[in-house]
Amino acid sequence: MTLVCVGLSHREAPIAVREQIAVPAARVKERLDELRALPGVREAMLLSTCNRLEIFAVADGRGAGEDLLAKLGPQAAPHARCHFDEDALRHLFRVTASLDSMVVGEAQILGQVKEAAAQAQEGGALGPTLGRAVERALSAAKRVRTETEIARGAVSISSVAVKLAHKLLGDLTGRSVLLLGTGEMGQLAARELRSSGAHELLVANRSFAAAEELARTVGGMPVALTELPKLLERADVVLCSTAAPSFVVTRDAMSKALKQRRYRPIFLVDLTLPRNVEPSANELENVYVYDLDDLESVAARNGEARETHVGKAEAIVEEELKALLLQVQERASLPVLARLRAQAEAVARAEAERTLSGLPGLSEAEQKRVRAMATAIVNKLLHQPTAKLRSEGAGPLADAAASLFGLESPTGPAPQPDPVPDPQPDPEPIPKPDTVVQFARKA
Amino acid sequence: MLADGQPMNAILVHIALLAYTAGAAAFLTWLLRPRALWARLGRIFLLVGVLVHFAAFAATMGIAELGVGADSWKGGQLFSLLAAVIVLGYLILDWRYDMPVAGAFVGPFTVAVMVPAHLVSSTDRAVSPQLDHSVALFVHVGSAAIGTAALALAFGLSLLYLASEKQVKAKRPGRLFARLPSLDLIDRAGYRLAVWGFVFLSLAIATGSLVSRQAAGSTMPFAPKQGFAILAWALLAALIQARLVAGWRGRRVAMLVVAGFALIVCTYVGLLSGTSVPGVTA
Repeated sequence: MTLVCVGLSHREAPIAVREQIAVPAARVKERLDELRALPGVREAMLLSTCNRLEIFAVADGRGAGEDLLAKLGPQAAPHARCHFDEDALRHLFRVTASLDSMVVGEAQILGQVKEAAAQAQEGGALGPTLGRAVERALSAAKRVRTETEIARGAVSISSVAVKLAHKLLGDLTGRSVLLLGTGEMGQLAARELRSSGAHELLVANRSFAAAEELARTVGGMPVALTELPKLLERADVVLCSTAAPSFVVTRDAMSKALKQRRYRPIFLVDLTLPRNVEPSANELENVYVYDLDDLESVAARNGEARETHVGKAEAIVEEELKALLLQVQERASLPVLARLRAQAEAVARAEAERTLSGLPGLSEAEQKRVRAMATAIVNKLLHQPTAKLRSEGAGPLADAAASLFGLESPTGPAPQPDPVPDPQPDPEPIPKPDTVVQFARKA
Repeated sequence: MLADGQPMNAILVHIALLAYTAGAAAFLTWLLRPRALWARLGRIFLLVGVLVHFAAFAATMGIAELGVGADSWKGGQLFSLLAAVIVLGYLILDWRYDMPVAGAFVGPFTVAVMVPAHLVSSTDRAVSPQLDHSVALFVHVGSAAIGTAALALAFGLSLLYLASEKQVKAKRPGRLFARLPSLDLIDRAGYRLAVWGFVFLSLAIATGSLVSRQAAGSTMPFAPKQGFAILAWALLAALIQARLVAGWRGRRVAMLVVAGFALIVCTYVGLLSGTSVPGVTA
């Protein structure tokens, strides 16, 4: 079996493409069902954020990559890329540890991966393979956050928006902020602007009740969305965070408002996908439109200092990845080990019983000692081969051992245990055979 | 006007030039490594430079005869005076708005003006005998220098605004943007300086016509200097009107300030070309 990652991110595709293929939260389950229905796909997880749309899947072979790619849609195809096995696993680890984020070190991606895993779990698409890979990736990401300073001073998109607002408008005292929609990032930015001294915070939403509720939590004033033209004349900063499928603030509306506001500068922050603000509004005089890509590129440029910590974070990710791959490898050798041990124990048991049948005068305790001796001989004889097979995993040595000791399964290849092992090492004695998939390692 | 420098004055001017150079170096260092220490050193050097520079002017003119004694002047002295007023204007601007980034431009600009003004010999120009002890001429030169300095600073801020705004519009705010105060502040400071420039330019034009009447009997003789000054004045008046009535601001105001200052530069070219008012000629 193969671990496949298919998708695109801010590195490969511009926001105009990403907003077309983004999967809304409400449609994730449906898309997971579609993915699982693909031939050869056993497990799947869909990670859809503002920066990326990626499918992680466990499939019977690499051929599934093409089917998964097709599921991303025709707009995505020219930008998408595929990772397999160790590369796919490394990508999952790096994404989760925020090393592939535009703002390296940002914390939001950790929650987004957790959320994607939870959605896949609910939809029955997350099996043991992918589940353990995600679990290990999350654990590596937590190590990165606690053991490096990559997150120190990591700027969130909302804080970049607030800094830019200060750079454009200066002191925010007496300024008016308009929050459109109830998106989380918009709320964060609104709170920061409010605490920076913004005079008023107006909250508008398609549902007035939701606007009232949000206004209470952020300390703002609810206003009707139908008043938008008037609100654009009044506000100095507009935070757009709605789920609207089309532009809420158009160039035409902004152009009309501009004359009424006597060309006072206005900062329009578009914090959502699909975008809420018509990008060409940025061409208007004293109108500054920044979408997610713009904010993230500003943040990335400001985050040069954090680059020094990236090396350490990458090392942690590699360490965790290697540990996981080693465990996978160990587990891959378990069927041969288990059969070898079972066979040896059976021989020892049979020989002990045969010996005991010729010694009728032995007490219970003496009989027990004979049986223990037989088991001890087996353990001592198998200690070295066990250690060697564990470290080598499935491969020529395991095949040779199976052949040497006559361990071939009468029903074909050995049944395979789960590819991603438990975080805890396997206790002695060797566990029973289980399903095994080994990720192909890079040469 | 100013008499030719005695050795003491020359020493003072050289000290001022050294202080300006040190100030420029400190501000440029701040631009590369923005530590508060460099900006503070830059301010101190420029302040020392401007104080010594004005002391040199006072010594040249003689305190008792301030503004009324000279019977000849040089182009170099004119630029030296402008440089001193611009530095003084910058220090006031920086005290009011905290703009070390402007110091990184004013400092080198001052050095660039001062070096040729004092190290290169220029033609001695006679002042008309009718203007001896003329208060109008003193006010004219003083207000023209202050107005020009204000407009030069407004021009510098406008260039900073245009460059910075271009970066913001292109979504690529760079190092310059990080060092600058907010666009809104640059816009407001530039506009205020343009207004001050307009006020002093108005005074310079009014007193200039008096000087012209005293020297040649004509209030508004036709000459390139006067033409450019009137054009600059009209442009600034239109700018202020557009700001107050229609709310113009930002990019288009910055461009008008740049155009206004270009006209002022043309005025000085007219002054130095020898086709100036009949009373102040080569």
